[in-house]
Amino acid sequence: MALRDLSLRTASLFGRNARPAVHAVCPSFCRNASLEAVELETASSLEVPPPPVEAAQNFDPIARSRARRLRKKPLPPSRYQFRPPKYYRGPLHPHQPPPVSDPASRLFQPGPFSLPRLEQTYQTTIAPDLLTLTYQHYPYGFKHPKVTQRLREWTGDSPYFKGRPLRGPRGSSSLRLLTPPRTWRNVPEITKVVVHTMVPEAQENSAHLHVAGMVVQAMTNVRAQTHKSRSNVVSWGLRKDKYVSVTADVEREDTFHFLSKLVDVVLPKIKEWKGVSGTSGDGSGNISFGLTPDQVALFPEIEVNYDSYPPKMIPGCHITVQTSATNDRDALLLLQSIGIPFYGKLKD
Amino acid sequence: MNAGQQTTRRIASKAGRSICRSCRDSSKTYATAAAAVQTEDATAQHIPPVATPSQALSYAVNAGVVLSRPPVLTRDLHPFEAAFFLYQRRLNERLALPFTRYFYFKKKTPADLEWKRKIKQRLTPARDIGRYKGYGEEAWNDELLVGAPESELQHQVERLLEDAEQSGEEGKEGENGEEDTSAAMAGGKTVKHDPVERPMPRVTEADIKGDVKSLNRALPRTLYLLVKNRDGQWMFPQDKMQGRENLHMAAERILTKAGGVNMNTWVVGNQPIGHYIHDYPEQVRSSSPNPNELGFKTFFMKARIMAGQADLKNNGLGLSDFQWLAKEEVQKAVEKPYWHAIRNMLAER
Repeated sequence: MALRDLSLRTASLFGRNARPAVHAVCPSFCRNASLEAVELETASSLEVPPPPVEAAQNFDPIARSRARRLRKKPLPPSRYQFRPPKYYRGPLHPHQPPPVSDPASRLFQPGPFSLPRLEQTYQTTIAPDLLTLTYQHYPYGFKHPKVTQRLREWTGDSPYFKGRPLRGPRGSSSLRLLTPPRTWRNVPEITKVVVHTMVPEAQENSAHLHVAGMVVQAMTNVRAQTHKSRSNVVSWGLRKDKYVSVTADVEREDTFHFLSKLVDVVLPKIKEWKGVSGTSGDGSGNISFGLTPDQVALFPEIEVNYDSYPPKMIPGCHITVQTSATNDRDALLLLQSIGIPFYGKLKD
Repeated sequence: MNAGQQTTRRIASKAGRSICRSCRDSSKTYATAAAAVQTEDATAQHIPPVATPSQALSYAVNAGVVLSRPPVLTRDLHPFEAAFFLYQRRLNERLALPFTRYFYFKKKTPADLEWKRKIKQRLTPARDIGRYKGYGEEAWNDELLVGAPESELQHQVERLLEDAEQSGEEGKEGENGEEDTSAAMAGGKTVKHDPVERPMPRVTEADIKGDVKSLNRALPRTLYLLVKNRDGQWMFPQDKMQGRENLHMAAERILTKAGGVNMNTWVVGNQPIGHYIHDYPEQVRSSSPNPNELGFKTFFMKARIMAGQADLKNNGLGLSDFQWLAKEEVQKAVEKPYWHAIRNMLAER
């Protein structure tokens, strides 16, 4: 390799000397970017025509491998059996794992598998409508008044007020999110859905936890996670460090599939359901609601083999829809436009 | 509603007929408005000075309606997208955790045997993307070749329909059918295939005929209502603002006036989504009854049609024809300055 480089370098040196005198006086160790560029290949690989159609049609990998086996000349196995290292041994180790996006990686997750209908509806219809609905026009040249300090200062003549950390807002310990003026860049969208099930019965009989996990997994297409109880709560019958709940974080493509299933299949089948409470929401654009065990059983994945689940073990669940909206009103509008009904006074 | 809009409306309600806000501000109330702003907060609110034209010159204010039908179908996938999704699904077949059989079926129960028989017949969970053989001498051969039937959408749809039609009884028949066909015939185990409803075609009759008046065309696209006005130009329905009405009310009035009552529409929000300024040519202006009117400004409101169809019979705006067009068809139908004003408020798809 080094020898080949050397010959190339010498060849290019000769070539440089053949150029006009201005370049010839330049000493050979004076190499700069423009000179380097001369050595670049001008031909583009894109100009190479694709292989002929017949080559693709006549390509038969099975026949090739059989022929090779008949000739007793198998491919060297080591070259085709790459296994990424199980543990990461640091950046200096010679055996480095491939990037996560590589299918050979142990951490590779395939996907996405489709372009969900709800996502397309959001892009083409819902987002432009939300922008029109929530846009606030300001006259040309208007500048928003700048609020530099949202925390309150300590006023009074106590000497202890000097240098004391600022007070939080009235009535709460933390500041609420600021809502920036609406533009086409910050139209609220759904970022994540969390499905959560709490099964305190699992402390006595772990079968409840297994069933809850399988139900949540079937509903969401996401591997469920289990959680331990953090503390003893006697009145709820909770004991510390016992597995009591199951969650699934539904993200990206699965979010749209899950929500469209919920809105189009499950919710219309619920009898005498008023809808989601209009006062639901945490104040920063995340809205939660619950489903009873009967309603969970209406999911098509569970309905199709309802008898396979042990009787009376299908749990209810809480569904939290996380949006990029910074207040509940915008999040509510988004969920309404997706098709989730709300009842009662709508939260502002 | 914010204070600014209320002020605007109050001023508008005082005036007899609608003229543009900037014209009015510059003519009458600019000084008072500036004084009011000064007293409030000079640093926060900055309203730039407007050059004062001669007093009476102004634009008429029109309201326009961009009535649209949102896409009904999903869009066609780009070939690269389709190939990518297929590749990822086939990868998933290899990498997904196996089906947890022992959770659903207890060992050696009839249900378990039934499942075994069905999976033996079915071979793979996903029917439409080809079978993955993970074991054996040729397990390495798991990539689709160029031009494989599995990569065609129609093939995938057919496989799914085939799967839906099969009841799972086929394997049973095969077992005793191989022993003696007469016994199977006598046993009366005939497999019935319930015909599954085929998906509707993505291309409708109106598409084939090129019927631009139908709402049942170009289903994956947004369609916009264009009307032909008195001068024979294609444009969105528009009319002069009347009296004390606001843009939202005007949009609703124009919709009923232009398209009749047989349209179920929703005017989205109270804000216009775009505007178009038309200047009259000098000779037209001088010969018109109101020579101080420089032209008109049309503010477009967004509206969606839910059901129904436009009907131009007895319309009050002198319209002669209408069309439902997608974005690039709108570009061909309207005039160039009008297109430059409206193109950014139309959805790409």
